[in-house]
Amino acid sequence: MRKKNKWISIFLLPGVSIFIFVFMLSILMLVGTSFANWTIGSKITFAGFSNYSTLFTEDPAFIKSMMNTGIWIALQATIHIAIGVLLALLLAKQKWYTSFVRTAFFIPNIISSAALGMLFLSILNPQFGLVNNVMTKLLGEPFVQNWFMDPKTSFFSVTMTWLPYAGLVTILVMAEMASIPKEVYEAASIDGATSMQTDLFVVLPMMKNIIGTATILAATSMLQKLDIIMMTTGGGPGVRTMNMPMYLYRTALTDNNYGLANAQGVILIFLGLLTLITIRKIFKMDQED
Amino acid sequence: MKLNWKKCIASTLLVFLATGLAACTADANESASTGAKGNQTPVEISYATFMVGSHVSAEAEKQIIDEFNEAYEGKIKVVIEELPSDEAYVNKMKALAASKALPDVAIGKQGIRELAIKNGQAVDLMPLLEADPEWKEYIGAGAISYNQADDGKLYSIANAKQLIGYFYNKDMFETAGIQPAKTWDEFMANNEKLKAAGFTPLAMMTGENAWTTNLWLAAMIGTDGEAGHSFMNTTHPESYENASMIQALSMIQTCLQEYTTSDAVGAMYANAANNFLQEKTALIANGPWMVPDFSDTSKAKAGLADRVGVALYPNDGIVAQYEVGYILCSNGKSEEEQAAALEFLKFKTGKRAQEIFLDKSGALPLTANVEISETYKTANPLVAELITISGDAKYGFENIDNTAFSSVVSEFSLNYPDLAYGEITPEEMAAKLTAAVAKSK
Repeated sequence: MRKKNKWISIFLLPGVSIFIFVFMLSILMLVGTSFANWTIGSKITFAGFSNYSTLFTEDPAFIKSMMNTGIWIALQATIHIAIGVLLALLLAKQKWYTSFVRTAFFIPNIISSAALGMLFLSILNPQFGLVNNVMTKLLGEPFVQNWFMDPKTSFFSVTMTWLPYAGLVTILVMAEMASIPKEVYEAASIDGATSMQTDLFVVLPMMKNIIGTATILAATSMLQKLDIIMMTTGGGPGVRTMNMPMYLYRTALTDNNYGLANAQGVILIFLGLLTLITIRKIFKMDQED
Repeated sequence: MKLNWKKCIASTLLVFLATGLAACTADANESASTGAKGNQTPVEISYATFMVGSHVSAEAEKQIIDEFNEAYEGKIKVVIEELPSDEAYVNKMKALAASKALPDVAIGKQGIRELAIKNGQAVDLMPLLEADPEWKEYIGAGAISYNQADDGKLYSIANAKQLIGYFYNKDMFETAGIQPAKTWDEFMANNEKLKAAGFTPLAMMTGENAWTTNLWLAAMIGTDGEAGHSFMNTTHPESYENASMIQALSMIQTCLQEYTTSDAVGAMYANAANNFLQEKTALIANGPWMVPDFSDTSKAKAGLADRVGVALYPNDGIVAQYEVGYILCSNGKSEEEQAAALEFLKFKTGKRAQEIFLDKSGALPLTANVEISETYKTANPLVAELITISGDAKYGFENIDNTAFSSVVSEFSLNYPDLAYGEITPEEMAAKLTAAVAKSK
C-alpha cells in the first residue's frame, strides 16, 4: 500500500507542480498586485482598494464592458445552447443531410478566431461585402450599411460572429445521445410517445449533465473573447462592443496601468466562478440523477 | 517468458533521457569550444520592426538590414522580430518593456521610448553622438534638438524628416473645375464640387491610429491661427477642449458624413490608400513615402503617378516634424552586445540608411549632408515638388501621433464612429480625449 502511495505521489508531482508554479502563483500575484499602484518603470506601492473603487465608481467604460460581457454570457448560455441542442436532436434522426450539416456546422469552430474576424470583416464590408451586395441586388438600389461601425448595428454584428455557431455543443450532445440504449426509445414508442415527445421528455432530461457542461463551456468562452472583437471593432464605436478582456487588454497595454488591469483580472475570475456556480446550480450538476 | 512492461518502459525512458542529456552537453561543449577558438560566432542583436509585408517602407527596411548583415558578416547578426502592423508593434513593445525585455534596437514611437527610459533599458545617445562626429553630422542639429530632453539627454534618433501635405487626383480636380484650396471654406466647397461631379472627395480611415483622418484634423487645428498652431506643436497636451479642436472635429464630422467612402469609418490605412490608388477618391493626406505606390501597378491604376499632384494644406500648412525614431536598449548587456547594437543603430540612422529610405520609400533625409540629387528629383517629381512648396508654408506643425499619448490616439479611433453617426458632438469627443490623457499619467 505504501509503495502504491509513493507511485501515486510521483505521478501527481508534475501536475501539482505545474498547477502551483504556473496557475496558483500567477493568481496570487494577480490578486496581490490588484491592490497596488503599478505602472511600467515605477515602484509598486500599496493602494488598498483604490483600483476596485476606481473601476466601480469612476470608470463608466469598465461598467459598460461588464454589462456587455454579462449580456453575451446570457446569450451564449441560452440561444447558443438552444441552437446547438436543437440541431443535435435533428441530426440524431440520421437523415440524408446529417453528415453534411454536421461537418458544415462545425467549420466555424475549427477556424481560428482571428481568421474568422477577417472573414466577417470582408463579408460585412460596407463597400464590397457580400451582405450589402446581396441586399443591393434584392432591393434594386444601393444598400450601404457599415455593420460593425454603425452604433445601431455594431453590437448585433459582433454578436453574430459567434452566437449561431454552436457546432461544439451539437457534437457534445450527439456524442452523449449515442450512449442512450435503443431500449429507451423502444419503450417510449411502445408507450405511444411521438418523436417530439420522446426528445422532450426522455432524451433531453437524460442530456442534462452534458447540456450543463456545454453551457459552462459556451458561457465562460465569453470571458475569454478578445481576438474577434480586436479584429472587428476594437471595442467601439465608443465602448458599445467593449467586453472585459478587451478593456483589460487596453488598460494594460495602451494605458500601461497594470495595477488597474489586474484588478479587472480578479473581477473577471470572480465573474467566471459566479457563472460556473450558477450554471451548475441551474442544471443541478452536483446532484445524482 | 513474461514481459516486464514496467522495466521496459523505464529502460526506454532512461535511454531517451540519457540521449537528451548527452545532446545538451554536446551543444554546450560545442559552444564553449567555438568561443575558445576566438569568437567565430557573430554577436547576435535583436531588432523589432513593423515595416514588413505590404508596409510602404518594407523594401527599404529589408535592404538596410541585408546590407548591414552583409557588411558585418561573421561579426554581428541582426535577429529581426517582424510585427505585422503599427498597433501590433506598439502593443508588443509595451508588453516587453514591462518585463525589461525590449529588443536591443527598437522604434520608440507612441510612448515606447518613455517606457524604455523608465525601465532603465534606454541608453543616453548624446555621449555616443559626441564621440562620433561623422554620425552626428548626418543626424543634424534639428533632429537632435527635437528629441533631446531638457536635461540634455538624448534617448532616440530619427532617420528621416517628415513633410506631409496631401495628394490629389489632377484629373478629378480638372473635371470638377477646382484647384487645391487656399482656405478651409474653399476646401469644403471643393469637396462639394467633387461630389457634384460624381467623385468621392476624401480617402479617410478611422481604424488603427486613424492616420489619414488625423492628418486632416492636425492640419485644420495647426493652421487655425496662433492658438491652433501652438496646440499642434505641444507634446502631450493636457486638454483637448479648445476652440480649434472643436471646430476641426466639427469639420471632420462633416467630412466623414458627406465626403468620404462608405467604408471609411472603422477602415484601416490599407483601405484608404487603396481607395486613392484605385481612383475611387480624389484626395488623401499622406507623406512622400506613398509616392512609390503611385507607379506600382500592382497597387495603383496604370498611369496614376502622372495624374497625382501634391499640395499644402489650406491656410498654407504642412506637417513638418522629425520622428521619435530609434532607441538603443542595450543597458545592462555585455560590452560586446552594446557595441554591436550601437553599430546597428548608427547604420540604421546614418547616411546609407537615409539614402535607401529616400530612394525606396520617399522619406526625406535629416540634413542636406545627404544630397537629394537632380536625377532623383527628376525621377520623383512629386517629392521634389513637396520639398519646393514646403518653403511656402506659413504653418509647420506635428501630427497627432507625435503629440498625443497612446491612450488618446486609441480614443480617437474608438470615438470617430460615434462622431460620424452623430451619436456624440465635437465638444463631447474633445472631453473624451481630455479624459484619456489622465489614463496615461
